[in-house]
Amino acid sequence: MTTVVAARRRAGNPAGRPAGTRGSLRLLAHQVWYEQLSFWRNPQSAVFTFIFPVVFVVIMGALFGGVGKSSYFGGLSALQYYVPTIAALSVLGSCYGQLAVALAARRQAGVLKRIRATPLPAWAYFAGLLAHCVLVSVIDIALIVVVGRLYGVPFPSHWLAIMLTLVLGAASFCALGVAVASMISNAEAAPAVAQLVLFPLMFISGTYLPIHSALLNRVSGWLPVRPFNEALTAPFAQHAGADWRHLAVLAAWGAAGAAVAVRRFRWDPRPE
Amino acid sequence: MPSAVEVSGLRKSYGQVHAVRDVGFTVGYGEIVALLGPNGAGKTTTLEILEGFRTRDGGTAEVLGYDPGERSGARELRERIGLVLQDIAVEPYLTVRETIARAAGYYRAPRGVAEVIGLVGLTGLERRKVRSLSGGQKRRLDLALGLIGNPALLYLDEPTTGFDPAARRDAWELVRGLRTAGMTILLTTHDMDEAQALADRVVLLAGGVVVAAGEPAALGGRDAERARISFRLPAGYTVADLPVLAHPAHLANGMVVVETGAPAQALHRLTDWAISRGRELNGLTVERPSLEDVYLELTRAGVPARAPERIMR
Repeated sequence: MTTVVAARRRAGNPAGRPAGTRGSLRLLAHQVWYEQLSFWRNPQSAVFTFIFPVVFVVIMGALFGGVGKSSYFGGLSALQYYVPTIAALSVLGSCYGQLAVALAARRQAGVLKRIRATPLPAWAYFAGLLAHCVLVSVIDIALIVVVGRLYGVPFPSHWLAIMLTLVLGAASFCALGVAVASMISNAEAAPAVAQLVLFPLMFISGTYLPIHSALLNRVSGWLPVRPFNEALTAPFAQHAGADWRHLAVLAAWGAAGAAVAVRRFRWDPRPE
Repeated sequence: MPSAVEVSGLRKSYGQVHAVRDVGFTVGYGEIVALLGPNGAGKTTTLEILEGFRTRDGGTAEVLGYDPGERSGARELRERIGLVLQDIAVEPYLTVRETIARAAGYYRAPRGVAEVIGLVGLTGLERRKVRSLSGGQKRRLDLALGLIGNPALLYLDEPTTGFDPAARRDAWELVRGLRTAGMTILLTTHDMDEAQALADRVVLLAGGVVVAAGEPAALGGRDAERARISFRLPAGYTVADLPVLAHPAHLANGMVVVETGAPAQALHRLTDWAISRGRELNGLTVERPSLEDVYLELTRAGVPARAPERIMR
């Protein structure tokens, strides 16, 4: 019996798909391609994903476009302040908020269960989602920078630092998004729960208005949103490189999110 | 030769609810086995344990030589099983071909996309968006996703629920064809006709235990049960005039019923009796307990109160 089983297992292995790194990369490309296809095919979700941050910059530009460098905005002009924070907001929205909601909905609909029944490894599924989130974030940021330019905010100079911050931020917030999706069991509650966590956090982290309370800044400095805002502001507006200290805090949150996600994530809709 | 599926002493509880108490059965290679039973009998929990979605509390389970509860063999096992789930779970904005091609990319040695589209009868709809398909067409797409990996074992969870009679016949034809091609199939169903039409063997669950198992024609000993011959008593005769023991049926208009262990003999004597008197036996039928009768009989007795469907499924 044991030998039969072993023989069958061996017989199962050597067919078709190339093993190892090349096979994994191909699987990843396959997964990324189809995630993109289903995203872009839904015109409403695609348009709203990109319109929201643009509208936000336009409104802030209309409100504060004339406000020059001031101590209220930490020595920056209003738009120099808002362009990176809105960029951070859009990354948060697509990586954390939309991902948590989408995963909860896919689980409820049985889509995740169906995926789990195939040999697609979990890492490839999540890597496909992460790649999608990074791509959406890059487009969002490009749009925001262009609109910001119309209000006189110069193009940032440290693109490499921005990319690094963006990818690390996207990965961390994706991990947190998956973690939150692991805790929510029903899809209807998902948007509310995701927003409930996010909204106050963004507020005290200076996303909407600069915060001048030392206590709040200290507290929010240890939470994930403010470090990300700061880490994006540095290469965007302050002509500095990567902000390692804030990136470290962000990465720690990402790791914590990933730990929760790995332990708690469920693929099938019914609670055990 | 070992079986495709071997289960014994399977147990699973959700808190205080014992969804599966003691389930054991086997599915041979190339066989179609149906898990039957009322809601809450433990069918879906059993299936989900075998699919690797749930852990078991006790007992043994082996699927294609793998333990479905073990993570190490999970990916290999998933290469070789196909699932058609109860819920239609397909992304609305992809086309039929894209949906199937995406799933094909997950397998080492999938079937051809066009071949599977033809197999499930979606030819001509390849470029249609999934959201514009009818319910029955989506169900076929679901089946295509279960088949694309060219599985050795296919799980079908209530595969024809919501089908119209013609679509159901087509689906049965397809399932029989798959079996002929060597696929092993484990299905759950509420539909006795389906079990009778498809299954080589049925396993009847109630209250988390197996209450009967065997060929559908012989389940619960129904092939050995007494047959019921019923007909309308010719005018001018009473039950006492008949050559066999009969009793009036609970029906109106003079129907009588003969219960017999030797239906050929009884029938011969009855028709002889009628012909010699120049009479007809109107409404004549011969019946055995249907699979449904046996099912109702076996699942009614001694079954603990149902737990809510939501938890049990």
